[in-house]
Amino acid sequence: MATAGAARTRAVTLGSAVLVLALAAGCSSSTSTKSAGGDTAKDGKVTLNVDLFGTFGFKEAGLYAEYQKLHPNIEIKQTDTQDEAQYWQALQTKLAGGGGLADVQGIEVGRIASVVQKQADKFTDLKSLGLGPASDELVPWKGSAATTPDGKLLGLGTDIGPEAMCFRADLFKQAGLPTDRDQLAQKWSTWDGYLALGKQYAAKAKAGNTWTDSAASVFAAEVGQQRVRYFDEQGKPVYETSPAVKAAWNTSVSLVKDGLSAELPEWTPEWNKAFSTGKFATLSCPAWMGGYIKGQAGDAGKGKWDVAPGPGKTGNWGGSYLAIPRTSKHAKEAADLIKWLTAEEQQVTLFKKLGSFPSNKAAQAAIKDVKDPYFSDAPIGQIFSEAAAAMPAQVLGADDQVVTKAFTDALGEVERTKTAPDAAWKHAMDNVRNATGG
Amino acid sequence: MALSTSAPNRGPDPAPPPSPAPAPARPRPAAGLRAPLFRWDQKAAPYAFVAPFFAFFAAFGLFPLLYTAYVSLHRVELQTSDRMEWLGLRNYTRLIEDPFFWNALRNTFTIGVLSTVPQLLMALGLAHLLNYRLRGRTFFRVAMLMPYATSVAAATLVFAQLFGRDYGLINWLLGTVGISPVDWQANTVASQIGVSTVVTWRWTGYNALIYLAGMQSIPGELYESAAMDGASRWQQFLHVTVPGLRPTILFTVVVSTIGATQLFGEPLLYEGSAAGGVSHQYQTLGLYMYEQGWGFFHLGRAAAIAWVMFLLIVVLVAVNAAIARRRSRTEG
Amino acid sequence: MGTDTAQPQTRGSGTALAPRPAPAVTAPPKSRRRGAAGRRMDGGPLAYAVLGVATLMFVFPFYWTVVAASRSNAELSAVPPALTPGGNLFHNIGEALQQAAIGKALLNSLIVSTTVTTGTVLCSTLAGFAFAKLRFRGRGALLALTVGTMMIPPQLGVIPLFMIIARLDMQGKLPAVILPTLVSAFGVFFMRQFLSQALPDELIEAGRVDGASHARIFRSIVLPVARPGMAVLGMLTFMATWNDFFWPIVALNSQNPTVQVALKSLGQGYVPDQSVVLAGTLLGTLPVLVVFGLLGRQIVGGIMQGAVKG
Repeated sequence: MATAGAARTRAVTLGSAVLVLALAAGCSSSTSTKSAGGDTAKDGKVTLNVDLFGTFGFKEAGLYAEYQKLHPNIEIKQTDTQDEAQYWQALQTKLAGGGGLADVQGIEVGRIASVVQKQADKFTDLKSLGLGPASDELVPWKGSAATTPDGKLLGLGTDIGPEAMCFRADLFKQAGLPTDRDQLAQKWSTWDGYLALGKQYAAKAKAGNTWTDSAASVFAAEVGQQRVRYFDEQGKPVYETSPAVKAAWNTSVSLVKDGLSAELPEWTPEWNKAFSTGKFATLSCPAWMGGYIKGQAGDAGKGKWDVAPGPGKTGNWGGSYLAIPRTSKHAKEAADLIKWLTAEEQQVTLFKKLGSFPSNKAAQAAIKDVKDPYFSDAPIGQIFSEAAAAMPAQVLGADDQVVTKAFTDALGEVERTKTAPDAAWKHAMDNVRNATGG
Repeated sequence: MALSTSAPNRGPDPAPPPSPAPAPARPRPAAGLRAPLFRWDQKAAPYAFVAPFFAFFAAFGLFPLLYTAYVSLHRVELQTSDRMEWLGLRNYTRLIEDPFFWNALRNTFTIGVLSTVPQLLMALGLAHLLNYRLRGRTFFRVAMLMPYATSVAAATLVFAQLFGRDYGLINWLLGTVGISPVDWQANTVASQIGVSTVVTWRWTGYNALIYLAGMQSIPGELYESAAMDGASRWQQFLHVTVPGLRPTILFTVVVSTIGATQLFGEPLLYEGSAAGGVSHQYQTLGLYMYEQGWGFFHLGRAAAIAWVMFLLIVVLVAVNAAIARRRSRTEG
Repeated sequence: MGTDTAQPQTRGSGTALAPRPAPAVTAPPKSRRRGAAGRRMDGGPLAYAVLGVATLMFVFPFYWTVVAASRSNAELSAVPPALTPGGNLFHNIGEALQQAAIGKALLNSLIVSTTVTTGTVLCSTLAGFAFAKLRFRGRGALLALTVGTMMIPPQLGVIPLFMIIARLDMQGKLPAVILPTLVSAFGVFFMRQFLSQALPDELIEAGRVDGASHARIFRSIVLPVARPGMAVLGMLTFMATWNDFFWPIVALNSQNPTVQVALKSLGQGYVPDQSVVLAGTLLGTLPVLVVFGLLGRQIVGGIMQGAVKG
């Protein structure tokens, strides 16, 4: 019994030590993070939780700080998941379970149709909070995509994703490639031209340095240039038969065959790390990718990256909405916040600091001449404005992201497991069917 | 279902088996207080003792179990889980033609073998060494058990880094001896080895201690007489230690088999995706069930997979027990 | 006594159903110590070498976690990789506390584990005593039911439980994790085996002869004897609950996580910075390491004892 007694004494000491530790940690964190679920603290302060994916850039551009200064009774707490697919799964579980939803949730453009068709009852009609009609402020398709057939507005558009091509000017120079933006745009006016230039680069580049990050990002960019992508206006799936999808697939497969892909899965730690190591020299760049590059490559990347108009036609890849779940206890305050965040002035700031291209028309007009010192003073305002003006108004399907994910994985197979392209294509089809339940 | 508990007893124990049943209560003394209250206490008290356990157990253990079977016969979607549409056995029959299910079943098996076999063999070897008289034996034992105390999530996050393709430490080490980088994520065999490594790392020390405990209960006389017969250390290990450990080994095999069948956290966090790799190359049944339920939001299908997993465990444990019984018959 | 079988629970990331019974392994003859000691040979240099290498393998990941947690992201992708700790530890820990709510996770885990451990140990001792020493109608059937459900995979209960908490709007709240894991069939079996052996029938008889009620017998006779068993069960339950994975990740979310839920978020790109991810991992593992520093010997003893006593 003596040993048991000793053990008990120790256990008690230990227990209290752990308790103190946890309490200390818990308290220190609660002062900085407050509790979730939008509580009103005793001092009348309202905490708004904002839950996002990727890089919206509100925090990075200092917008929260500014808003809190303007509204001293508001405290904003943001959480962020890089990979949208993970974010969406967690969001669905929360919507189903009713817990843990933030006051503001980001919605990707590839999901907005799903929200409108299947979960309109889970989100607040923003018109009821005095927001909108947004149609005359935003590019037309952006607002209508977030509106239900009976006229409820479920999300405010933040950015859209006009496409360009980001490239490492320093690595281009080393490999003897031109770095003049117009000249490059000329050379890669088609996707074949992009591949041809890639081969030139590969012949001269240092071992281990490749042309671009992944087949999946090239695929996403090329498919994004179509008006009808995976589903047609009636919501009928066309991803299996669409010639445009097949063409994008073929470009991506050639890219892999020619050894031009670094074969990095997007949104993974390995991909992130490669931004600073020079493993890839080009990256398909929807406007918002600029912010991601800045975040990952950091200050060391400043001046090394540049932007030029991208290959093929111009298209849209990504872009988002902000929505307010029904469960929010501070819907009014949340509405004020998202209205402010999506207003002209803030959208301009976001573009200047992070490159997120506004869906707000007034903001679009205001940023035409912006240049970005991080990207070697590239005229990003002009490049992305021209891209946005020419891009098609996409038809959005409820399962767009599911299909995207399937193609991304299939291209990953081609890259990393040397699966035959035809077999990988079939896997993609199987995966979509399995996920959608067909 | 009680097979897993009773099976090891059937082995030829070197030591007498414990008496699993409590000693029969002796007749109560005839004299004593027989107040009605006392009599009521005698009758009702046992039920009062087990009631708290069974109340929770019924609500959170038994009911969900049966309800899962009910759910598996319906179409139920996560977003609208209060709406159920009767499907009969459709969720089960579709598994038969579901290539992803068979893939997951195959992976569960191969990862199970890759993680269990080396793990138990190493554990046996380490236990043998730990059974020597050693300086710092407590240190060794505690160090070996530390991975066991680490959570699945923490261990997997760390190993996922070590196994990185481009910047991982393991590929760097391989590089220093001239081996070209291995794609520990996309390559089927390599990724399964990666996942198995996490399992092996966490459980080897634990199993070694279990074996060590078993070894220490083998009577020394057996070794003495073996030594007198001229058996070498290795022969003693083979002919005294291993047979003496048979019930313990069987137990660890059963527990590891059950664990391997349910493997979930390691493959989920290895790359962070419920798909278990771009080709689902290390997606286990447990992970596939999670993907169907919380990735694709098909709860009915997920329920069917859960029941199949359960039946699989029952079969595996029964097979284990049958093998053990046969061996003990042929050798006994 | 049952072997510790927190194993399948943590590995399978179990719910309350998970812990499995240990089979009765080998009962030690009373002379075991002497017998074993009689033949134990000194370990040669080879034994030390092999054990040393093995220990290194077991411990290295911990060391490397510290290294990675104290570096920056860029340093982690450097070639050759960093092998010694750097100076970023506190910065990274601060980020992990801020971004992934690790502080809150630690507190939540402590609440959940303490509550579940208390509940499990209490209910298990009560029921274990009844099964070991009392005769009542249906005892055999109830015990068989308890033992039989121990090998049910946690996956089997998760779906209905999720549907229930979804309907009750309990998703993301701690009771959603605590209630379903509050009792354990393994614990009941464990305490039954322990008390069968450790509690002499004569003691209970003596209590009865004195006219003590069952409640009194339990309090003054059973509890003192049961204490060592309760301590081992408590330790194992605490660890298993702390590390429980499957049900918590379904029932909770990154807004109000336990440590394992927070780690899952970290592993799924909740935070882009790998050094911060590992700082979070380090924080989440630290309590366990502290426990091991203080109670390592007792935990090893508990597991080994469990294994042999069967």
